Order: sequence, then structure tokens, then C-alpha cells
Amino acid sequence: MTEPALAAYLLALADDELILGHRDSEWTGHAPILEEDIAFANIAQDEIGHASLWYGLVRDLGGAEPDRLIFFRLPAEYRNAPLVELPKGDWAFSMLRQYLFDAAEARRLPLLAASTHRPLAEAAAKIRTEEIYHLRHTQAWIERLAQGTSESHRRVQAALDLLWPYAVQLFDPVTHEAELAAGGLLPEVGAVKGDWLQTVVPFLSAVTLRVPEASLPAGVSRAQHTQHLTDLLADMQVVARSEGPDVHW
Amino acid sequence: MDTQWPRYEVFEQEQPDQPHRNSGAVHAPDAELALQNARDVFVRRPEVSSLWVVPENQIYAWTAEALAADPSWQTETVVLARSASPYEVFQKQSQRQSETYVIHVGTVQARSPSEALREALAKFDAGSVLVWWVVLAGAIRRSTRGEAASLFEPARDKTYRQPNEYKVASQMRAANDAGKAEAGNEQPGPAGAPAPGPQEPAE
Repeated sequence: MTEPALAAYLLALADDELILGHRDSEWTGHAPILEEDIAFANIAQDEIGHASLWYGLVRDLGGAEPDRLIFFRLPAEYRNAPLVELPKGDWAFSMLRQYLFDAAEARRLPLLAASTHRPLAEAAAKIRTEEIYHLRHTQAWIERLAQGTSESHRRVQAALDLLWPYAVQLFDPVTHEAELAAGGLLPEVGAVKGDWLQTVVPFLSAVTLRVPEASLPAGVSRAQHTQHLTDLLADMQVVARSEGPDVHW
Repeated sequence: MDTQWPRYEVFEQEQPDQPHRNSGAVHAPDAELALQNARDVFVRRPEVSSLWVVPENQIYAWTAEALAADPSWQTETVVLARSASPYEVFQKQSQRQSETYVIHVGTVQARSPSEALREALAKFDAGSVLVWWVVLAGAIRRSTRGEAASLFEPARDKTYRQPNEYKVASQMRAANDAGKAEAGNEQPGPAGAPAPGPQEPAE
């Protein structure tokens, strides 16, 4: 049971990183200023790099090859949280989504680095410093958007109202997560979410943003996606699907 | 109206025992984001151990020609600060294409920028200097030791390719040749390009 269950957890992480990286990459060439265009393209590429690490671990645990997983699964087979598939929105929306995600990663990776599954612990340790930098970058932006002009504040507050229920879903446990945690393979269920809440709520409040009540259910889950994922995958998979799985690049 | 953010000059240090040298400029709303932008624009791949950013309006610059032509730098024109502060001194020593860097050479204590320049002329070798920059040390935002890990470490174990390794030109040529050979097989005829020539209908 252990290997498929751990693979399922890592597949969810991989899908989060891939879909978010793809959404972020949609800003390439369109960010508000050249320097930020480069910075955000870097972040997008980092996320896709992290996805590639996680997909590699999934394969090593008996899953399919990464290219198969990425280019030949249907939307219903993807396990990303719907947070990352929502369209990129305005700059405040994309920055806030990235901040909420980075804060989760910055809390999750140190805990994963203590996993008894050695390849997982090593991969988590490797990408940890990168996520610290992402968090620093997005945090700097959220501070400035929230405390900039009334318009920038309005936009980032609107983004928070919309994104919050989706962000909370990042921590929905996968099947058998509790057993994996008991075996030391994964952090205790709820630990990452607890750390995350203790990070983001005080920060958001300090920059004068109002954190919504988490009572609104998002209505979708890691297994039930929005139409936005279908559209995204149609775009991302079109070349691979038209050429077939056996073509080498 | 100029809607650009202020410009910051960026200085990078590759190894701890090397001087900081000017690598270019970024725009940013403040020094903190200037440092982050500098990291993303200039040092994502190569190895770097420290970064400095300086608002361009905090840089006092003199060319060697200007110093020779106008001696006003020898006399003070501003009210001197009550006590001396550290100024960082930079020099540009060459116009050769790969060496046109403005390099940090050291620190002087002074009560004004032009006093800092006079101190620098006395203290450092001025022989081949083309340009002098002096900056109040406190105006520089420097990456700290604590920041170095998240700013610079990720670049170290990333693999990357230089643009010329993609061999785009030779691949394009090969693809072109293959395309021509194919076209030649389908339409036997005189060798060479089916020149779009005088027969082309004029617009």
C-alpha cells in the first residue's frame, strides 16, 4: 500500500507545481515591467522544475513516465488543487496566488526534508532555498500592492476574497495520508496547514488585508476540476497529442 | 511624464575575494525590490557571492577628461557634513569591449562627494582611470550573509546551456538542405533555387 499511496501524494504535489508554473508562464511577455517579467518567468520555470522532480519520484515509485503523466492524462485524472488552475487574472491575483502557494511550500518542504523516504527528503532539501526566495519575492509584492494605492489595495483584497477558499484546499489530505504520516514518510496531517495559517494570517492582516472566513466551500476538489483545467490542458497537450506518445524531441 | 521606476545600478561579486563590479542597471520601486530584480536579471545562472544596488541619483561620477578640463572639483561647493562618512570608490580603467566594468576599489572617509573624490585621487592609483564613481556607503543596499543562501545558492546546481550550444544556425541549415533535397526529388528540374524572379507578378 505504501508506495502507491506515497506516489498519489507526490502526484498531487507535482500537478500543483506544473499547473501553477504553466499559469505563471502566461505572464511571460506581459508582466507590468521588464524586470518583473524576467523574475516571474524564473519563478514559473522553477515551479515546472520542481514538478519534474516530483514526477520523477512518482515514476520511481512505480508510476508512469513524467511525459506520459503530463501530456496524456485527462483533466479528471489530474490531482492538482483547483487553486492553481484558475485563470491568471490581474497582476494582484497572480501575485497573491503565488504568495499563498509559496508560503505553503516554504512550510511543507522543511517537513518533507525529514521524511524517512530518502529520495523525497533529498528532493525537498534541494528545492527549499528556491522556495524561500519565491516567498520573499511575492511577499514583497503583496506588501506593496496592499499598501500602495487604493486601487492596488482593492484588487489584492478582491483576489484574496476569491482565492482563500481555494488556497485552504491545498491541504486536503490524500487517501492514506495519515498512515504515511504515522510511518514517518510524510508530515503529520494538518501540520503544514497549521504552520501555513500561522504564517499567512498575521502577514496578510499586518499589510491591512482582511482574511475571509473560510466557511465558503470552493465546490471543487483535487478530483473535480473546473473547466479552466480542461482549457489549460488542451493548450498544453495539443502538440504532444497530435504527434503521439512515441515521438522523441 | 516619466512613468519608469527609479533606476538602480547593480554591482556583483563573483567570489568573496574579488571586487564588486558594475553589471548593469534595473528599475525598481525601492531598494529591496531592486536587489531582488538584480538577482533575477543578472545572477540567476552564474555564480555570485554578493550583490549591491545603488540608486543612480546617489552616484557621483567624473570622467578623467572632466577632471582635467574643469578644476572645480578641487574646491568645495557644498556645505560639508559635520563629520566624515564612508564613501565607496569605483573606477573604470579600460574601454576594451570585455573590460568596460566600473569596479569597486575601496573606501574613503569624507564630508562630501567631492572631498571623497579628492581622497580617492590621493589614495588610489589614478594612472589609467577613465571614470570615477563615489557613493555614500550608506546609500548601498547590500545582500547580507543571511540572504545569500536563498538569493544565490539555487543557481549553483542548476544545469544550463549557453545560447550557442543550441546550434540553431547549423540546425536551420541542415533543415533547409533537407527541405531543398526533398523539393528537388519531387520536382526534377534544374539544380538550384526556384528563383522568384522577374516572372513574379508585380503588386
